[in-house]
Formats: sequence, C-alpha cells, structure tokens
Amino acid sequence: MSVPVVELKHITKRFARVLANDDVSITIHQGEVVALLGENGAGKSTVMKCLYGLYRMTSGAIYVDGQEQKIEKPRDAMNLGISMIQQHFSLVPAHTVTENIILGTCRGPIDYKKKEQEIAELAREHHLDVPADAYVKDLPVGTQQKVEILKALYLKARILIMDEPTAVLTPQESEILMQFIRGYVEKGNSVVLITHKMKEVMEAADRIVVMRDGRVVGTVDKEEVQETDLAHMMIGRDLEDLKKSAWEESADRKPCLEVRDLSIRPKNQAPLLENIEFSIREGEILGVAGVSGNGQQELCEAIYGAADVTSGQILLDGEDISHLSVRGRIAKGMGYLASDRHRYGMVSDMSLSENMLLKASYLKTWVNHGIIKRKKLNQDTQKAIQDYSVKAPDCSVSAGSLSGGNQQKLVVAREVGMGEKMLIFDQPTRGLDLGAINYVHKTILEEKERGKCILLVSTELSEIFALSDRVMVLYQGRNMGIYQADELTTEKIGLLMAGYDPEKEKGGNGDEE
Amino acid sequence: MKSRKADFIIWTALAVILGLIVSFSFLPLLNVNPVEALQTMLVETFSDTYTMGNILVKTAPLILTGLAFAFTYKANLYNIGAQGQFYVGCICAVAVSLGLAGALPGPLVILLAMLAAMLGGGLMGLLIGFLKARFNASEFLVSMMSTYVITYVMQLLLRTVLQESKHEYLKTDYIDSSVWLPKFLSGTSASIGIFIAVGAAILVWLILYKTALGYRIRVTGQNMDAARMAGINPFVQCMIAFAISGAIAGLAGFIEINGMQHMLLTDFDTDIGSYGIGIAILANANPIGIIFAALLFGVLTVGGTALGHSTDAPASTIDLMQGFVMLFVLMSFFFRKKIELNRMKKQTVGAAEGKEAA
Repeated sequence: MSVPVVELKHITKRFARVLANDDVSITIHQGEVVALLGENGAGKSTVMKCLYGLYRMTSGAIYVDGQEQKIEKPRDAMNLGISMIQQHFSLVPAHTVTENIILGTCRGPIDYKKKEQEIAELAREHHLDVPADAYVKDLPVGTQQKVEILKALYLKARILIMDEPTAVLTPQESEILMQFIRGYVEKGNSVVLITHKMKEVMEAADRIVVMRDGRVVGTVDKEEVQETDLAHMMIGRDLEDLKKSAWEESADRKPCLEVRDLSIRPKNQAPLLENIEFSIREGEILGVAGVSGNGQQELCEAIYGAADVTSGQILLDGEDISHLSVRGRIAKGMGYLASDRHRYGMVSDMSLSENMLLKASYLKTWVNHGIIKRKKLNQDTQKAIQDYSVKAPDCSVSAGSLSGGNQQKLVVAREVGMGEKMLIFDQPTRGLDLGAINYVHKTILEEKERGKCILLVSTELSEIFALSDRVMVLYQGRNMGIYQADELTTEKIGLLMAGYDPEKEKGGNGDEE
Repeated sequence: MKSRKADFIIWTALAVILGLIVSFSFLPLLNVNPVEALQTMLVETFSDTYTMGNILVKTAPLILTGLAFAFTYKANLYNIGAQGQFYVGCICAVAVSLGLAGALPGPLVILLAMLAAMLGGGLMGLLIGFLKARFNASEFLVSMMSTYVITYVMQLLLRTVLQESKHEYLKTDYIDSSVWLPKFLSGTSASIGIFIAVGAAILVWLILYKTALGYRIRVTGQNMDAARMAGINPFVQCMIAFAISGAIAGLAGFIEINGMQHMLLTDFDTDIGSYGIGIAILANANPIGIIFAALLFGVLTVGGTALGHSTDAPASTIDLMQGFVMLFVLMSFFFRKKIELNRMKKQTVGAAEGKEAA
C-alpha cells in the first residue's frame, strides 16, 4: 500500500489530572473515511486536536506523507492540508460567508466581488448550497456547517477532521453531509469522522478506529464488523436491556401536568413558543423531539417557572401554578434536570452535599430554623451516592472533581428526590458515556413506574423512542403534533423536526379526492 | 486536604517574612540600619503593654472592614465602600451617644449606639445592593462613590448639628464616659471592641457556612444561573449580602467612636476601608483568617509608627511594608496553585506507572 497521508505514532497526552491519550497510533490513507468511535471522554477529540495543533502532545510523533512534522499551532496543520471542524463552530455571526471564509488568508485591500465569485464557484464545485453573500447569523445551523467545510476547502484541505458533525443536524441534513463526504473522498481526499453514533459509522466509514479510556482498543474494516461488536468494544461490557412497560391511556390515570395555550413572545423577536397545549398523565413519559434550539429549553423553563411567559396556564394536579415562582414550584414537587448541568444544575466548587442541598435551601428537609442539618444532609448524600453508584470517595469532595457521568448521576439523584410529582428531563444523557446513559434511562423508567409524570426533551431520537409513551415534536416553538411513540417512523419524525407535516399534506390530497 | 491547609500557612508565613525583608532592605537608602530598625521596632512594639494594647485597638476595626469586604466577595460582589458605611456607623454611634447619654443608663445607650451604627451602615449597604439588583448599576462604582458622598455629608453634619459646643473645630463634643466601651486591660486603651470584632468574625463564619442564608449567598456568588434555577432570587441575595456587609462596616464605626476616639472628627481613619480590602484578600476572604490578617496589619501599623518616631525612617515606611507583604502574599497564592498542580500531575504519572509496573 502507498504511504499513508497521516500517521500518528504513539501519541500520549497528559493534562494535570488526567491521561487523555495513552500511546495512540492511528493511520489515515488517501481516499478513505476513518471513523474515530468512542464514548465521550474516550480521547477522540483530544488526539485529533493534537494533530490539528490545538493541543501539544506530551510524547509521540506525527508523520504527514511519510515525513515527520512538528505541528505546534493550527496554522502549521493548515499548511499541511489538515483542517478541523470543531463541534462548536468558529464563525463570526455578524460577517458574511465570504468574509468568514477569507478570514486570516489575505492582506491589504480585498476585492470582495472577486472573492465572492471564487467562493460561489468553490461551493458549486462541491455541490454545497451556500449563499456566498449571506450573513452567517441568518443561516440555519446545517448551512453554517457547510460554511465551515467551505472554509477548509478554500484552504485546500485534503484531510478534513470533523468533530461530531451531525450533532446539530436533522436526519435529512445529515444525509446531505454524508453525500458530501463520499464525493470529497472520491477526489482523493481523506476524512476523519469523530463520533459516538454507531449508525453514522456504519453508513460512512471505510475503517473504524475504536477508542476507550484514551487508548485505541481496535481498528476494523466496516465490512468485517457488526454494530453489536462495536458497542462491546466501545464500552468494554454489555449493556442492560431496558424494558419499557406498555402504556395504555385509560381514564383512571389522572392528568398530572396540563399546559394550556402556552406562549413566549419576546418583543421584536420571533416567538420562542407558540400556543403549546398538552397534558401528561401520571406514570406517563411525554417525549419532546426536535433539533436543538427549537424552543425545548424555553418550554422546560416555562413549566418550571424560570421563564417569562407571555400567556398560558400551567396546572399541576389540577391546581393552577402559573403564578408560582421556581421556589414555589419546587415546593409543589417539581424536579428539573437542565440540559446544561454546569450552568444550571450544579456548583462545581461546592461539595457533593452542598450540591444536594441546592434546590432545597428553602425547604425543611435539611434545614432547621435556618441552620443546615449537616449530619442528615451528609447521610442522605452518602446514601444517594451509593444508590446511584456515583463514583466518589465521599460527600465532601467538590462536584467539579467528578467525571461528567458521575456529576450527572448526582444531579439526577437530586432532581428525582425533589420531583415528587413531576420530573422534567432536558437532554438527560447529553455528553454521557453509554454506561451512564443506560443508568439514567433505567432511573427515568423507574420513576415512571412510581407514577410520576415525566417530560423528556431529547435531540437523540433513539432516546425518545426508547423511553417515551407519546412524542411531541417542536419546530420553531410550534407543536408539530403529538403522536403515540409506535406510530412514528424516523423518516416521519425527521420531516416534522424540519417543519414539514406529512399528515397535513396527505390530508389535503385526501380532501381533493 | 490537610496538606493544603499546611501549605497555606507555610506559604503565607514565608511571604510575610519575605515582604518584611524586602521592605527593610530599602532602609539603607535612607541611611537607616535595617537590623537596628527591626530591633527597635520589635522591642518598642512588644516590650510594654500599652503598645501591645494599641495593636488590639488598631486590629478591631480592621477585622470588621475586612469582614465587610469578604462578605459581599462571597456573593461575587465587590463592596469597596466599607469606608463610607464605616462613617455612617460613626455618625449614628456618635449621634446616639451624644443624644441619649445621661437620659438612659450607660450600657443601654451603648447597646443602642451599636444597633444604630449597624442599622445605618446596613441601610447604606442595602441601598447599594438595591441599585445593583434593580438597575444593574456597577456595585463597584456605586459603593466607591458612596464613600465620597458620605464623607461630605459627615463634614456638613460636623459643621452644623453635630459640631462641638465651642464651634471651633470640625469635630463633635466628647461623648460621656458612661457610654464608653469598657476597657479590659488596665494601663492601655484596649476596649472590649476587639472581642466584639472577633465575635463578629466567628458569627460571619457561622452564617456563611452553617446557615441556609449564607449557603444561598455563596451559591449565588459561585453560580448565579444555578441559583436562579434553584428558586434562589439572586437580586434578593445581593441586597442581603450588601446589607450585612454594610452593617459590619457600621459596627466598626461604633467600635472606633465608643471604644477609642470618643468623638467624631473629620478625616479620621481614612484608610480603614482600603486596608479592609487588603486584609480580606490576604485572608482569601476566610472570616477566621481575617482575624489573623488584621492582627498582622495591626502589628505593622503600630510597629511602623514606633519605627517612625524612634529612627530616621519616615512614617510612610509602614505603607511600604504593608504593600510588600500584600504583594508577596498574593504571589504566594499563585505559586501555591502551581505547586499543587504539579503535585497532582506527579501523582497521576506515579499512579499510571504503578499500574503499568503491576
């Protein structure tokens, strides 16, 4: 075989506390798609950031076209034809597509007309549908990603690293991306796809490198491997099967949460939520599907009392709680697991006990006449640590010192304890490894069995299907419909998530007949 | 955890000593023998009870202004106007003492003066907190400017209603000795103010770490969004923190008036607020640490004064010493962090190698 375009040899990267990569060797050939598969925290992004010059490796060597290269900053990598598209885009929203693409590549006076033509030409050549003169802030996320790709192509990249590229895309947009990748490698370029989604890997990759705990645990050709084998390699053990009990809507199940005509319309802005109506019964899980940023967070915060609601009513167990503050709603037995746990759900520098107390500081559970009942708080926290198998030495260590999965388990434990009647889970498994995901899913199903009503927001369709009894799809703050989980297909939900309603179109035809 | 605490003490002590050495090394430039100067300073400071009592007199209000800064600091707010709240406390304490002495029993007047000082300082703080919470005004600027306003209000009062009966100087009459804070060491001017200050430090520690109130203030300081999601209103916490902070600074005013000065005059203790900030930072905003940091500043102030009148060293040498000590302590924070990080790195390497060997 010819000389590989990129060879990573024995890369080790150590941060102060953790060994992120341990003797990682990866080879990338011309014209192939290499998938880096692994759970969060397996070290996939880290090793690629070493290649791209964002991190400096502790030891190891990088060979490009057979020559050893010192890559100390992204510019070095770019000069070698290596480009990386970060999970969070690095675009300037207030600039045009052209300005973003030529950023850092030209000096002196700029002939915008000419550059715009160049970029439009480049976009056509690669079948990327991007308006060269549009402002980035006006473009949908999928198109912004194409701008990032164009940026790499403009720099004549021949090795494109993409970090979780489909995380923000609808199924249809992902399909287009996969087509682009196919065409791109056919021209003799190479792609590294960092991902934890098995489906993508099976669809797009030629070769799969599986990583776990900072090491490469195996390299396989796609033809030779089954999805189940990959999963096993990724986690190193088998997962527990989840059993979703059949759910029947019957009259003796009381509606627990009712949302009536809920809207959030900020001044001079598109509405964030429009006339949302639904109810959840006791022991029911309502899944909320949608591409992230379509009103999910606003919906959760509105129900929890943390958002300014323009109009609408929220009833818990038949009681109108619309006027209550967050504090009041916590007292009524609501638990809310926010999607961004670092920002909304925990205080990193405080101990596990103190994090347990977070939402109960006005309640009597652990506070007596304003004095914190340390002993009881510590005991209860210790119990939660055991019950939820949080890996922590004891309850006095800071929450920030735990791994993401263990932090999430702790926060889930707290919210499950707080939410005696209803629980809101916003992206409960985002950024978790499969083992922790499994655990959180099990907990959600257990709470359902206890008769709590549960609102589950997720951008992972597999999660929605695995847990929900009914599914609501949100698109730009509008309810696209509520369906029984088993009457939805991936295709149909994909269309709904993109704002098309196949039912309505079909229904319209039916009327004509 | 324990090694971290030991680290902290060792490093801080080293930094203090280094700060003193460096500041003393400037003395030869002024033709002062540093060794002799140090000797004079130590002997004069620690040889008689009067000067030692003086240290406690200086320390007491510094503990309180240090606590005032530290309390808002825990809520991630900056009250740099402790000076102003201190003056409000002075005005309230002197007004109550002058007005009620004789009419009511002495101890009762003392108690009322203390409450008035805390209430006055507290309201001043609350105002700043309110402006921050309601209008998102920079509490930094507002608290700083409030000090100027209060300084002039104090002057106005000293020219009018509060001026001494002789109408000569910008000061009040002496308050009646029945409303002086009792002294606890004969032959010195040390009043029980120091106990009040130490008690306040302990109380602040208890509030911050043992009560739900203090917990909420700390949560708000560390993660305001998480606080909001937990039903804690950050604006309310901001006002509470500022009110308590102001009350503590006001208490310092009471101790100075009823315990030491026994009258109010213009331009007195003009540095007490800014020293408080330094002390709080020196102690890393830990209420118990503040007691010791304030004591250090008290020793430096008294020792520096002794140095000033027994040698040729100018009085401003005190500021030099305090400045260098602060600088070195702040630097030691940085080094401590670095060393800790390195130690962790070594531990992880050691653990990894241990695993490999096994």
